[in-house]
Amino acid sequence: MRMRWREYRATLLVAALSAAFGALLLQGTVLLTALVAGDAIGEKESVQVALSLVSVVFFAIAVYVGGIVTANTVGTVIAGRTRDIALLRLVGADARRLRAGIARDGILVGLAGAAIGIVVGIALMEALVLIGRSSGDLPADIPAVVTPMLVAPLVAVTVVTWLSSWVGSRRILAVTPLQASAAAVEPDAETIHSAVGRRIAAIVLIVTGALLLGGGVVMGLVTMLGVLVGMVGGILSFSGIVLAAPIVMPRVLRLVGKAMGSSPTARLAAENAVRNPARSSRATIGLVIGVTLVTMFAVATSSYYDMILRASEQYPEDYAGADETLAVTIGVFSVLFGFSAVIAAVGMVNTLSLSVLQRQRELGLLRALGFTAGQVRRMVLAEAAQMSVASVLFGVVLGTVYGWCGAQALLGSMLGGGLVAPSLPWFVLGGAVVAAAILAAASSVAPARRATRVTPVAALAVD
Amino acid sequence: MTITTTEMGLAARVAGVSRRFGVGHGAVVALDDVSVGIRRGEFTAIMGPSGSGKSTLMHIMAGLDSSDGGNVWLGDTDITRLPDRELTLLRRRRIGFVFQSFNLVPTLDARSNILLPFDLDGRKPNVDESRWIESLVDTLGIAGRLTHRPHELSGGQQQRVAIARALATRPDLVFADEPTGNLDSRSGREVLTLLTEACSRFGQSIAMVTHDPIAASYADRILFLADGRIVDERPRSTPEEISALMLAMEATR
Repeated sequence: MRMRWREYRATLLVAALSAAFGALLLQGTVLLTALVAGDAIGEKESVQVALSLVSVVFFAIAVYVGGIVTANTVGTVIAGRTRDIALLRLVGADARRLRAGIARDGILVGLAGAAIGIVVGIALMEALVLIGRSSGDLPADIPAVVTPMLVAPLVAVTVVTWLSSWVGSRRILAVTPLQASAAAVEPDAETIHSAVGRRIAAIVLIVTGALLLGGGVVMGLVTMLGVLVGMVGGILSFSGIVLAAPIVMPRVLRLVGKAMGSSPTARLAAENAVRNPARSSRATIGLVIGVTLVTMFAVATSSYYDMILRASEQYPEDYAGADETLAVTIGVFSVLFGFSAVIAAVGMVNTLSLSVLQRQRELGLLRALGFTAGQVRRMVLAEAAQMSVASVLFGVVLGTVYGWCGAQALLGSMLGGGLVAPSLPWFVLGGAVVAAAILAAASSVAPARRATRVTPVAALAVD
Repeated sequence: MTITTTEMGLAARVAGVSRRFGVGHGAVVALDDVSVGIRRGEFTAIMGPSGSGKSTLMHIMAGLDSSDGGNVWLGDTDITRLPDRELTLLRRRRIGFVFQSFNLVPTLDARSNILLPFDLDGRKPNVDESRWIESLVDTLGIAGRLTHRPHELSGGQQQRVAIARALATRPDLVFADEPTGNLDSRSGREVLTLLTEACSRFGQSIAMVTHDPIAASYADRILFLADGRIVDERPRSTPEEISALMLAMEATR
């Protein structure tokens, strides 16, 4: 089965963003290591180790987010093309072959996106170095930052795109040839039958992940390597939460929906947001991930700051110059977490517009029954708002937990570290909420416009 | 002085309406200078083979599609060049729809689907309207199903809910587009009987598009369309007569 180009656009963009991010991180690590090697704090090997660790962690996170976004994009596309797939199955196509075809496309799109991303990443770094040199911020004799290691993000992004296309396309196997001829009735609930297996897998992942995360925090009191254990735990438990999203997200959405009032547009929007657990979790999980990351890094940075502050009070001579390091670190961190949020945003925008695209018929019905164009637009907007509010709430809670664990695991072992209480920087959290709201509004503009362009007639065709 | 649509005893009327899809050689003329009225208080069937333009005619009369030429009235309102918002309000308040694939809003239960036209207007039905809706629900035999979602209802039950929704606002005209197309023959007969009763007991004007001679035999008046033109018109007829006429039309094409 060939998918249309527009259906690959988000995947390509995500792959390019992840790869560009990886390339920048890698070159940045090379550059920073070269720069700090001469400095006083540069001699503290731990800084260098931490730098590399942080790069790897951030790249892993970005690729992971990209993978989830890609899997969700593919899943949404497949859900919208059930009838095409059923038709192919009807004339004798093998479901496994169809799925393998999608995964193969994933390799190509992933490779193309990753290549574009790496080139862009190299160009950006080159530009930064040039600017740095001409302004005198960087010494003239810095080594070349382009390394053969850049193949690593290329391979990683391609493999992850392939894997996530494979995971996202599993629904193909559930499509029966009969669905090609069935009257166009909304297939109610994207099947409950995988629910039990999903639930068990989710619980196992969450429990294992939580244990590892706890282990990472404890290990972190002794060694920086605790962060690696913590990272594995974080990825496992978060995968579990993502897996459980179709069960968890509708509940969160329902709560938020109740708060939106009882006008017909709000009520319909609230119902739309939870009507199809698989679809609404696909749409929201991107933003949940984004907000979780933002909150996580905000909390981590802030906890880190608290630790350094406490440590420098105790050991002033060991932390001379720490303020500088701190400022750089916080700057770097904010860019880093912002980037994963951008990837997540691509996912959210894409899923919402695809889901509107797939509801042409229903939107047409509402128009035929007397929904004004304005009411349809408000409905789509309310839907996006509900989804973003629910995602932000959920993300803030998760992010606080992960951020604190991360900071503990990475820095608990440093001189004067130990356990600190999680610290919530309110201005950053406020910023996350505002950004999410703006994102929801912005992401609903295009789908809302498309929704209002639906003519009643087009949507009422029997097919 | 011109005679209004109402004075003609009509619920809706088109005059010299044409509609063409596509351009150049691929263009298809769906309606070719059609003038016809739907009588008030009557059950009218619009018949014709696939591609005869019957659905296009219904869409234009209902303000769902625009014509390339001619005029369209709903009651005394000339809706030919009405802006979208006005058309929307008109559909909400003065037209009812029954579709082949039921087209209930899947996220709303049966009661909310029936009340949707009122909801859209941001109001609750008044006492009189509530009584009317209650009697509709009883007549249609869906009183026990009001809290069910569409996917929990059979096809026949969904279509009854759709009929209740279409009749709830006591519209000027109800449009039914192949209302029995997705139903088994028994449910189909029940739906047709209900539509006939809505017309005879409550004086509801109904226009039904169909290509099924049995469905058309329930109507008071039958309009025949072929190649975008009205080619014949009959009073109430038996399915056999209608079939014979359709076959004859096919033969002369």
